Parts: sequence; structure tokens; C-alpha cells
Amino acid sequence: MVESTSRAVVGVFTFMDDALNAVKDVKAANFDWRMYSPVPRHEIEEVTYPQKSPVRLVSFTCALTGCICGWALAILCSLDWPLRTSAKNIASIPAFFVPGYEWTILFGGLGTLGAIFAFCKIPSVVRTAGYDPRFSHDKFGVVVACSGTQVEDVKRRLKAAGADEVDVQESL
Amino acid sequence: MEHTNDSKKEAPVTYAEVNDTILKMLEPPGRGWFLLLFTCLFFLAIGASSWFYQIWSGFGESGKSHPIGWGTYITNFVFWVGIAHSGTLISAVLYLFRAAFRQPIYRLAEAMTVFAVMTAGLFPIIHLGRPWYALWLMPYPNQRALWPNFRSPLLWDVFAVSTYFTISATFFFVGLIPDIAAARDRATTKFRKALYGVTSLGWRNSHAQWKHYTAAYLIFAAFATPLVVSVHSVVSWDFAMSIVPGWHATIFPPYFVAGAIFSGVAMVVTLIIPLRKAFSLERLITPFHFDAMSKLILMTSGVVTYSYITEFYIAWFSNNDFERFQFWFRPFGEFWMAFWGMTFCNCIFPQLLWIKKLRTNIPFLFVLSIFINIGMWLERFNIIFQSLTREFIPAAWGGYNFSWIEVGITVGAFGWFGMWMTLFIKFFPSVAIVEIKEILPPPVRNEGHGHHQIAGNAGHH
Repeated sequence: MVESTSRAVVGVFTFMDDALNAVKDVKAANFDWRMYSPVPRHEIEEVTYPQKSPVRLVSFTCALTGCICGWALAILCSLDWPLRTSAKNIASIPAFFVPGYEWTILFGGLGTLGAIFAFCKIPSVVRTAGYDPRFSHDKFGVVVACSGTQVEDVKRRLKAAGADEVDVQESL
Repeated sequence: MEHTNDSKKEAPVTYAEVNDTILKMLEPPGRGWFLLLFTCLFFLAIGASSWFYQIWSGFGESGKSHPIGWGTYITNFVFWVGIAHSGTLISAVLYLFRAAFRQPIYRLAEAMTVFAVMTAGLFPIIHLGRPWYALWLMPYPNQRALWPNFRSPLLWDVFAVSTYFTISATFFFVGLIPDIAAARDRATTKFRKALYGVTSLGWRNSHAQWKHYTAAYLIFAAFATPLVVSVHSVVSWDFAMSIVPGWHATIFPPYFVAGAIFSGVAMVVTLIIPLRKAFSLERLITPFHFDAMSKLILMTSGVVTYSYITEFYIAWFSNNDFERFQFWFRPFGEFWMAFWGMTFCNCIFPQLLWIKKLRTNIPFLFVLSIFINIGMWLERFNIIFQSLTREFIPAAWGGYNFSWIEVGITVGAFGWFGMWMTLFIKFFPSVAIVEIKEILPPPVRNEGHGHHQIAGNAGHH
């Protein structure tokens, strides 16, 4: 987004609307930024990430795969060793609904878990610059990456938006 | 919280208070907690030793013989699957319906689900007699090139219960991640720092993480919702697909699902009342929540009662002598006490919840919830034992003697379940931090900002 980023300016906010105003400001100024909040809220999403999450596509694809695999497992296993019961079909469609149904959910759920891991970038063992334990408590945070010469400008913007405190760290 | 602030005298609950109150539960345990844990471990030891004795000495020790092939173990299996059920209802279905009473109780209900399925899953294995053959239920290419029978409801159960456990456990863990991160950020001891550091997976509450997380959580709820319907329906087909009088009934799936929700919500009440008292959660779990759970109990009690009546009506209306006899035998036969006990606990006693005062009377609800759990165990007893003792011809009739091995294993199951619950409440947040914060008004400088979201903001979306 911006030129070389060697500093992270961390703004700690008590009020959500102040933090959102800071995000709008640094976004308009084309800085690389990140927001932390103790809770997800629509107001935050609208400002920070209005696009749709791709998680649903992964979930749908995995669920569809599960559906096909569940049915295929039941049908192919039954054809492989036919257990004939009276005049019933070897591939009994109503009976095989259960494995198909359950695997749709199983694969969809596990795919969604994989999607969370991939898109949220977890598990992560890397310490995140700018993260403050208060962001899981009751404070909102806006972290802006900038070059050394831009630090003062960013600090001014965050303070103007209403930051309680502004700190400068090595990099984002 | 919206409902805790009805009284104008009380200060509104804040984000900080939510963290402080809930994370306080994770402080080093006292003597009471250790006593509870050792009691559970003692019960578990009784169960484990009974099981080992049964394996060592043979399945005849279980008290089962012709015609009762399915006895206490399958009764326990159905009972525990039923207990598990309402956790998913509360965590997933009520999430999709934006039920405002869900947030403070759903985490405990989810934990109950996962641990109850872990308990339920033991019983088919115990029931096998030779548990090492449980592997044969799995569809894997074995040396005989033989696959399991996909037309059998017993195999459907394997798919249904294993999927249910996997998805419930995943949903439970995903919901916990941000709360574990909050615990990590306050941990002081080395052990806790390591535990929460690993299990929070490096979660940081960033805007991008929340975006994908909330989208995924909604999808998880959508995946878990059909499981609420399917799991106990599949369990009910274990019975309904047979031709045994008393089992062969098309009403079984909805009847079982309603019964499961009924017993599960009762178990949530049983667990949450002492927890609320022990950890002073009165400002988070309020009479509003008990009132809502009571209404759910009352409604499902109505459905269960309707199902009982329908069974009797259909037995009469079918003009089938065997069905008619079975439903005469239940209230007036050898095991009449089980039938009337079930009727009292599940149909009559819960009717007191029509009285508004009793819906928020905590001691009354605690007693009622225990009666309902007993009643629901008796319901499964009636379905399984009574039907098998009086099949088609008198030559196939029989009785049943409980063995102390079965009693030991049943007690052990409560110990196993209790042990996991006891460990959970002390090591992980058993009330959802983030979701409670979601229903609070966010701290804003400009009062107009974000206020439009608050009233209906019962969930992520």
C-alpha cells in the first residue's frame, strides 16, 4: 500500500467510533493499517472490510465434496460386496441418504475449519507488532505502518481521532 | 447487558466487567472444586473397574439375556445423546434465530454437548462386550474385503454420532478461540500462559480475523442445525426400523428430537444453577434467562406428552393386538412404576411452569430439572426394556435383572461426564466473553454512533 514500512504506530482507543474515525482517516491517506477490537461489530466491518468473506465458497465446495463422497462410499461399497436382501436394490437410495447427508455436514464443517485457519492466519506463532492485551479486554486499537518520516503525521492523525495513547514500535 | 439493566438502579455491564467476571472463574481452584473432581474420579473408577470386570469375566455379567438384548447400556446411550442434543440447539439453532437468552448459557451447553457425546459414544462400545471389535463398524478395506451394511440403522448411527461429535467439538472449539485469547492476555502463571498460548492459536482480534471468523461461525451454525434434527432421528431409527411392538412407529424421529431437547435443556439448568451461584454470575445469567429456558422446557414437555398420547392412540387405532398389548403392559404391567414415574416427571410436574413465578424460582427449577432427567431416563427404559420384554408371543417374553456391573458403569458415566465438566469450568471460559460483549452497547463517544445496531444485535450478523 505504501512505501517502505519500518515503524508501527499504535493508537489505543476507548471509544469505538473514535477508532473507526481514525481508520477512515488513515485509509483515506493510503496507509497500511490494521484494527483490533474486543468484539466483532457491523459498524467495524462496514468500515474495515466491507467485502464478503470467501469462507462460504470453501464451505460450499467441501460440503458438495462430502455429499458426493458419502453417496459414493455407500454405493460403491455395496456394489463391491453385494448383500442381497429380498428384492431390494443393492444400491438402496433412501437408505444411503444418511451417509450422504452426514458427510455433507462433516466435510463442510471441516472445510470451514480449514478456511478459518487459512484466512485468519492461525495457528500463528509470530508475535504481532502493535497488538496489546487490552484489545481483548475493553480497548480498540488502530495500528498504522509507516516510514520513519511519517511517524509524526500518523501520531497526529490518531491523536486527533481521539486515541488515549499513541505508541511507536519497530514495524507492523 | 440488555436484560440485566431493566432495573434502573444497576449500572450497565461493561466490556471490562464481562472479562473480569468470567475470567475470575479461572482463578486457582478451591477445596470445593477438588472435592467435586475427586468425587467424579471416584465414580469414574467405579465405572472403569466394572467395565474391566465385565470384559474379563464375560458379557453375561451385564445382566442381559434373551429377550433383552438391549438393556441399560443402550438406554444410557440414548439418554446421553439426548442430553447432548440441546447444546447444539442452544448454540446453533438459537444463534440463527437470534434468541436473546442464548449468549450467557450457550458455552456451558456446548461443553455439555461435547462431553455428553463422549459419554454416549462409550456405550455402544461397552455394549459390544468385546470392545476391540468396534473397529469393524468402520468402512475400511479389511482383509475379508467385506464392507459394513449401509442399509442398517446401526451403521447410520456410526455416521450420525461421529459426525455430530466432530462438528460439535469443532464448533465448540472455534467459539472458544477468541475467549481463550482473552484468558491468555491475562494469564499470570507459566502453565496458564502455555495452555492458553497454544490453544488460542495466536488469535489477535484483528478486523480481518473477525470478518472471516464471523462468516465461518454463521456457516458452522448452519451446518450444526440440521444435526439437531438428524442425530436423534437416526438414533430413533435404531428402534423404528424394526418390527418390535412399541418400536415400530413413524412418530419416533420428532418424538425423540423433542425429548432430547427437553432433557438437554433440563440438564443445562441442572448445571448452570450451581455454577451461577459458585462464581457469582447473577448479573450475567439473570431471571430472564431462566424464564426463557423454562418456556423451552414447557414447550418440549408439551410435545413429548403429545407424542406419548399419540403412541397410545395409534396402538388402539391400529387394531393390532401386539401393539395394543404393549401399550397396556407399560402402565399396568410389571414395570408400571417406570411408566408412571416417567409420566409424572415429563408430563405432569413441568406443567407447574405455567406459573410465571415458578419459572424464575431457582430452587424449584433445580429440583424440576433433576426430575426431568430422571423422567427422561425412564422414558428410554420404557421404550427399550418394556418393548423387548413383551414381544409377539408369550414364548418370547422375559424379564430383566439389573446387575451391579451395569449400575457401576452407569455411575461411572456420570463420573466421566462430571470430570470433563469440572476440568472445563476451571481451565476454560465457561461463559462466552465475546458473545456477551456483542449484546452490550459498544463504548461510543457519539451516542448516535452504532446505537441502531444494539437492540437487535443478538449475534454476529
